[in-house]
Amino acid sequence: MADKLTRILYVEDEPDIQMVARLALEALGGFTVEICSSGDEALQRSPGFNPQLFLLDVMMPGMDGPNTLKMLRALTQFANTPVVFMTAKVQPGEVAGYKELGAVDVIPKPFDPMTLASRVQGIWERCHG
Amino acid sequence: MADPNELQAKLKLLCDAYAAQLPEKLKQLGQVWKQLPQDSWDEEGFQTMHRMVHSLTGSGKTFGFALLSDVARNLEEHLKQLAQAKTALSAQQRRHIHGLISELHQVTLHRDAPVDNQSGLIAAAPLNRGTASSKHIFVVEDDNEQAEELKVQLSYFGYEVSVFSNLTDFRLAMQAKPDVVVLMDINFPEDSRGGVQAIREIQQERNIPIPIVFLTAHNKFDARLEAVRAGSIAYLSKPVEIGSLIDKLDNLTSPQSFTQCRVLIVEDSESLTTYYATALENAGMVVKVVNNPLDVMVPLLEFNPDLILLDIYMPECNGLELAKVIRQLDAFVSIPIVFLSAESDLDKQLFAMGLGGDDFLTKPIQPQHLISSVTNRIQRSLILRSFMVRDSLTGLLNHTAIKDQLALEVARAKRQKTQLAFAMIDIDHFKQINDTYGHPVGDGVIRSLSRLLKQRLRETDMIGRYGGEEFAAILSNADGMAAVEVLDAIRKDFSRFRHLADGKEFFVTFSCGIADISHFTDSTKLGDAADKALYQAKHDGRNQVVLAKVLAPTVSIETSASKNSH
Repeated sequence: MADKLTRILYVEDEPDIQMVARLALEALGGFTVEICSSGDEALQRSPGFNPQLFLLDVMMPGMDGPNTLKMLRALTQFANTPVVFMTAKVQPGEVAGYKELGAVDVIPKPFDPMTLASRVQGIWERCHG
Repeated sequence: MADPNELQAKLKLLCDAYAAQLPEKLKQLGQVWKQLPQDSWDEEGFQTMHRMVHSLTGSGKTFGFALLSDVARNLEEHLKQLAQAKTALSAQQRRHIHGLISELHQVTLHRDAPVDNQSGLIAAAPLNRGTASSKHIFVVEDDNEQAEELKVQLSYFGYEVSVFSNLTDFRLAMQAKPDVVVLMDINFPEDSRGGVQAIREIQQERNIPIPIVFLTAHNKFDARLEAVRAGSIAYLSKPVEIGSLIDKLDNLTSPQSFTQCRVLIVEDSESLTTYYATALENAGMVVKVVNNPLDVMVPLLEFNPDLILLDIYMPECNGLELAKVIRQLDAFVSIPIVFLSAESDLDKQLFAMGLGGDDFLTKPIQPQHLISSVTNRIQRSLILRSFMVRDSLTGLLNHTAIKDQLALEVARAKRQKTQLAFAMIDIDHFKQINDTYGHPVGDGVIRSLSRLLKQRLRETDMIGRYGGEEFAAILSNADGMAAVEVLDAIRKDFSRFRHLADGKEFFVTFSCGIADISHFTDSTKLGDAADKALYQAKHDGRNQVVLAKVLAPTVSIETSASKNSH
């Protein structure tokens, strides 16, 4: 069995979603969560926080989710760290596209705060099953 | 682990904050929209608008505004299409977008009911909880005795049960992805939480999670939470109280659909009625359409709708007049009436409400909006009505209501020349049960029979609690013989049903009398005949079903009379 998932870095530009996600992941999931408001910020803070998993919003001003993913992959430290996209555009074709970019899964938005943590946990276990 | 109450409180605060920001967000959206030039394409402004809408799509439901997400998604789709053309919008496109934006405003009023504290946490967890269409149940339980007992008890309620005594067999069976509900023991000899783990693995294989009920001796919160995470829909402690298990299963296997919701649409435009009817039918409702308002009376009485959608502007008789007429009928004093109109003038809307409308939908109406509006109205009205017509112990129709229904159903059966049978049921030696075990146990017996009847009779049949330990059932499209067959099977199963009191088990029987309208042609005669047959069943030794017989001469008279009339 792989390491227990504890550190998650979540990149999301909307403050209200940030708050509810933090609550869902920390209080309900028991994870430690670092939240960044942009891809740039994520690139700066990731090496210090050393997340085991990234949650990336797809549509953000400036650097979007897919581009953030590319930049993260360029850092050797995160070359293989699982990345999950969060997006409101989930059509079957798109999901496949995101996975091709290297995401392990896609969580559709709007998410249910009550199940977000178990969903993330499930994805983690599948990655390390 | 966080205290669930505290978590709920925090979540509610966040939702409240989101709700408070919504008006401002929509106002900004409206401003961006207004500032877009009408005669050219403004890429930047359009992108801004798209982003704002996208943000609503992705957040609304998270904060309890599911409809907002839906409408925003719809708007977003439109914007995407327009963004491909990159040309100035036509008047029609502008109108459409404008309509969707005003719909966004409307649906912000539509906040989902908050999940309540701890039980809500448990219940809210499965997002797309599967509803089982079949009545097939997999019991996974290593204790053979308990498993067999569950199988027997569940079979009385019409469930088909397969038992698995170990996880390996169960996993194997699940590979075929059967459409089942799983009752899973958590404890297995090989692993104390083996059941949860197995379910978790199986759920991951599925797009729609299978409904799971966990059975366990643990009653700790962390065990419950683990079960929730594995996608459970219920968590029952052992020994399992069969009644609450059946309630849970019933909820799953007969989802709260609106199969019984009946909507009458009165609208002169045939294309519009088709549009509305299709939307509502897709949502599982039964719809009847009337295109000429003057023809409304017969369908109104025969179809007996739960809600009426009325177009305001129709030739011959307008919707407002029609609402007044309908409201003057005793049976429809409280029926929800929703007006449909292109009228967006609030004064006129309010005037329409004063005349007996409950709601006012402005055309064009999005199907989603129509469905939610209609559903909400019906639900509220059904709840109110249920206080008046339902028996509080069993949820069955009360004495007055079932008698009223019998009159209505007999009239309908005669008009439509269909069969109808009426059954009266009385629990045998009920007083003894109360005297021996106490009233709470007696109430339990009454509930168990009511559940069994609900389970085994068809959805179209009506069941009432006639009094104390007496029940009545109206079986439409069934003659006496068919009704006898059905009720006798129920009688046999009920007599094998194990009741518990203070750890002791006991068995209960019932007697039943049945009459049908081919022999007893009005509701009073029918009721009397069923009652006499019930008395006969009691007299002949109880625990049996008796069909009311008519003396030969009466039959021949009625047959010849009906022949003459044709």
